[in-house]
Amino acid sequence: MNGQTLRFPRLAVPTDPPPRRAIGRVRHFVGFRRMSQAERTIAEPDHADLIRAIADRSDREAFAALFAHFAPRVKAWMLRSGATDGSAEELAQETMLAVWRKARLYDREKAAPATWIFTIARNLRIDAVRKERHPDTLLPDPADEPDMPAQADQLLHTADTATRIRHAMASLSADQVEVVQLAFFQDKPHSEIERTLGIPLGTVKSRLRLAMARLRSALEDLA
Amino acid sequence: MSTHHPTDATLAAYAAGTLPEGLAMVVATHLHFCPDCRRMDRVMEATGGNLLSDLAPAAMAPDALTRVLARTAEAEPPERPAPILQSGLPPPLARCEFGRWWPVAPGLRWRPMKVSGRAWAGLLVVAPGRSMPKHGHDGLELACVLRGSFVDASGRYGAGDIAEPEGDHDIPPRVDSDDPCVCVIATEGVRMRGLLGSIQRMLGR
Repeated sequence: MNGQTLRFPRLAVPTDPPPRRAIGRVRHFVGFRRMSQAERTIAEPDHADLIRAIADRSDREAFAALFAHFAPRVKAWMLRSGATDGSAEELAQETMLAVWRKARLYDREKAAPATWIFTIARNLRIDAVRKERHPDTLLPDPADEPDMPAQADQLLHTADTATRIRHAMASLSADQVEVVQLAFFQDKPHSEIERTLGIPLGTVKSRLRLAMARLRSALEDLA
Repeated sequence: MSTHHPTDATLAAYAAGTLPEGLAMVVATHLHFCPDCRRMDRVMEATGGNLLSDLAPAAMAPDALTRVLARTAEAEPPERPAPILQSGLPPPLARCEFGRWWPVAPGLRWRPMKVSGRAWAGLLVVAPGRSMPKHGHDGLELACVLRGSFVDASGRYGAGDIAEPEGDHDIPPRVDSDDPCVCVIATEGVRMRGLLGSIQRMLGR
């Protein structure tokens, strides 16, 4: 499949919230162009259009395209964090079902599709595998959100963020990528990461800190 | 504005969903107070999204899509937001269940939070001038101040600040506010000394 066949027209929908800040939109489009240049794989905004198509007209074809991309990756994540093939398959399916059901809640201004699906899968995994909760799942009501300086928080949500982080990640050393991957995909305390990598905990922590400092700085001029 | 924040390792574990529930509740409390860490949380989540996109796909069952599409026709389980149980606490603690208050020592009250996982958590109220019980750490411990303040060797902690001590406390944290200091605390393993230690051993934790 390629980006062309996956592109769906962006529809004007009455429920579409009016753009709050022109600048957010502009950045969004800048992010779109950069992404297409930088990435030969399917660009994120296409995925956002697919989610929109599911929300607007229960578009099964759009869902199939999204499923083909994300379900096998969510499953790969679950396998990496120690799930059996059966439960990894089930969690990947549950995640995609939740994507269908929550499509109307997706806001492309707030998160890139991969980020949104990542958090859905994360919360389902905690619930199913560990019988625990992520605090996010206790905050269903937007009225709960503290009053925050909207702009600083909001700008970070755009697809541009995902692109910038992608570029920053590409600049990390192999060692740094390894600790970031372990921190995200292994359900283990840091002391066990230390054992897995065979390097001292202090080194794991400082590598992670350096990697995160680089990701943070990639966004600094957005603030 | 908070001045003490969680480490990047802790924020990454929070975003990745690998932090035990009790510890995650303390981080979420800090996020409520701290716009900088909310930003960083989004950076972490976007990092997770990028890592997810980069994973080599694992083959799904041949009928996976058909099965999920069939289930989209099923009635959706009603999603009820968790009720607010403690209106005086910041989210998400307001929606957490707590046990009763236990007077554990003079000037010290403890209220356990009902959480699953390998960390335990609760609210600790310490009277002005009193010190937190002496303890050492076997795992990660996080404390977020809700009201009042305390001081320890690494500085002063006020509302919204998070303490992430490593190793043993040389000097136990002491409350320096005029009002009692209220903290939400979670820990993977604490070895209490003195009175609280005996209670801990009695309760089998």
